[in-house]
Amino acid sequence: MRVFAYAAILTALTFSMPAQAGWSLREDGKQVEVTKSKMSVTPSGDWNRWTSRPSKRGEIWTRDGLLLNELSFFAEISDGETLYREYDKRNSPLPKFSANMLPTDIVELFEASTRIVLQTSVFEMQEIGPAKLDGHDGVRFSYKYAAGDDQLARKGEGIAAIIGGRLFLINYVAPEIHYFDKDLQNFRDMTATITLAKDK
Amino acid sequence: MKYKIALILTLMASGSLCSFDLRANEAQPALTPTALDYLPQDDDERGLWMQMDELEREVKSSQSLIKDPELNAYVRKILCNTVGDTCGRVRIYIMRTPYFNASMAPNGMMIIWSGLLLRTENEAELASVLGHEFSHFEKQHSLQSFRNIRQKTDAMAWMSFVPYVGMIGQIGAIGSIFSFSREMERQADLVSLDYLADAGYDPNAASDIWRRLRAEMDATAAERKRKSQKDDNGGFFASHPNSGERMEYLEQAAGKKPPKNYMHGQLEYRRAMAKWWPLLIDDQIKLNDFGATEFLLGQLGEGGWTPQLLYARGELYRARGKDDDFAKAAGFYRQSLSGDAGLPESWRGLGLALIRSGDRTGGIAALRRYLRASPEAFDRAIIETMAGTDE
Repeated sequence: MRVFAYAAILTALTFSMPAQAGWSLREDGKQVEVTKSKMSVTPSGDWNRWTSRPSKRGEIWTRDGLLLNELSFFAEISDGETLYREYDKRNSPLPKFSANMLPTDIVELFEASTRIVLQTSVFEMQEIGPAKLDGHDGVRFSYKYAAGDDQLARKGEGIAAIIGGRLFLINYVAPEIHYFDKDLQNFRDMTATITLAKDK
Repeated sequence: MKYKIALILTLMASGSLCSFDLRANEAQPALTPTALDYLPQDDDERGLWMQMDELEREVKSSQSLIKDPELNAYVRKILCNTVGDTCGRVRIYIMRTPYFNASMAPNGMMIIWSGLLLRTENEAELASVLGHEFSHFEKQHSLQSFRNIRQKTDAMAWMSFVPYVGMIGQIGAIGSIFSFSREMERQADLVSLDYLADAGYDPNAASDIWRRLRAEMDATAAERKRKSQKDDNGGFFASHPNSGERMEYLEQAAGKKPPKNYMHGQLEYRRAMAKWWPLLIDDQIKLNDFGATEFLLGQLGEGGWTPQLLYARGELYRARGKDDDFAKAAGFYRQSLSGDAGLPESWRGLGLALIRSGDRTGGIAALRRYLRASPEAFDRAIIETMAGTDE
């Protein structure tokens, strides 16, 4: 996601944003829990977690700053919930997740939600294929988009799965020039380390 | 940048802040920005143009800019048909933004949002919007607004040092700015009607647009189970006349134009826009506004339910996914496939809708048809996983 959009949205609304947004280190190779959920990941490379969150089910990381790379985690989204926090529910309500969605439906939910939150129509899904998330069947998707003030061409890749009726989604975005490729392999390596605790 | 454009153009170019005397302006000699050799006349105007030139450079490099030469030439042709040779001073930029809007900057940059092109039904309606924006340019509304803001904000800065009076004074000052703005919008509306009638376009086109925009707002509200916003005028800070009031005065003014056999240019418009509709409708569907989208598809469907429109309606129902939406979606996809339009994506939609409605076997068969018809499909890998292959 684009930081400008989030920053604007986070600022505009009464989110549970701390008085001052901060960062905490996520060290290379050290497994951590994400989104206060049963999902854990082992970082490839050092990352920084943003204390501002896109929703109570999500969390955002970056390496070089959110305009240059952004990794977002969403975990345990339940039937009837939205992917991102509603930012203008009256005029631009977000589509809702349904537990019986097909893999392609998840990708469509992601695209529509992202277009609405980033207020852009310049968004093109490029490829959708199968994937595994902690051994569960899931979907991998890649896309291009541009949004916000800088209108920079950005690329994104995500992986998602419905596990026990709940949606888990990890998404990586960065400018098409240089930055996307720089950490793409790190992103892919990290998605392979995702584990879901069984008893939480 | 879109936000910046929206902000600056809302504030300045669409003439939303203004306090100049319209009558005084009309009495002045016709040195207007539409003259080919016109240059900014003073520091205010030079400053304003400089800012707009900067913004225009950003617009030119925006990923949202629709550069298609054919579409741009078509919109320009309608502008020139409407306002005549002076259209040459205007540079048109079509932005891929799925809402109804257009704006005009004082340096001659006109911005049209793609959602507008989805909502106007014929050339006369498009001409009414282009004529409206052009008259903001011709009448230098932005410059007047800019001068007014400076004058008022200086006054406000002074008043803010005065306790009690400050608050009330500020409200009064802001209120007067906005009420003049409505006057300016009204003027642009009425000038646009003159352009329409002179060019031979039906002057009723302007009120037709507002009537349908109001109906679209009703449709959005009905689906979301809330009150329609069609009569909201933004309260105290409204910059434009209320849409109902606007529709009425436009209708009355159009009625006073001499009766003649006016053009609508509906067939020409549909022909020019046909290749753009799938993209523009797709952008609209992804806004998650079922009511408005169903309304717009119905409007487009009045010209005949093409396979593309039926496919779009299937996509809309499948995206909502309520109750019997998947069954209805399957019906629309089937209708779109009944001719020989060869829309592989309808097989995809049908397959996905059937699986969601419980017909897994039928769904898999349709998805395989999709893969056969579209071997290079962007989602081939996942559809194969879901449906297997024929081999």
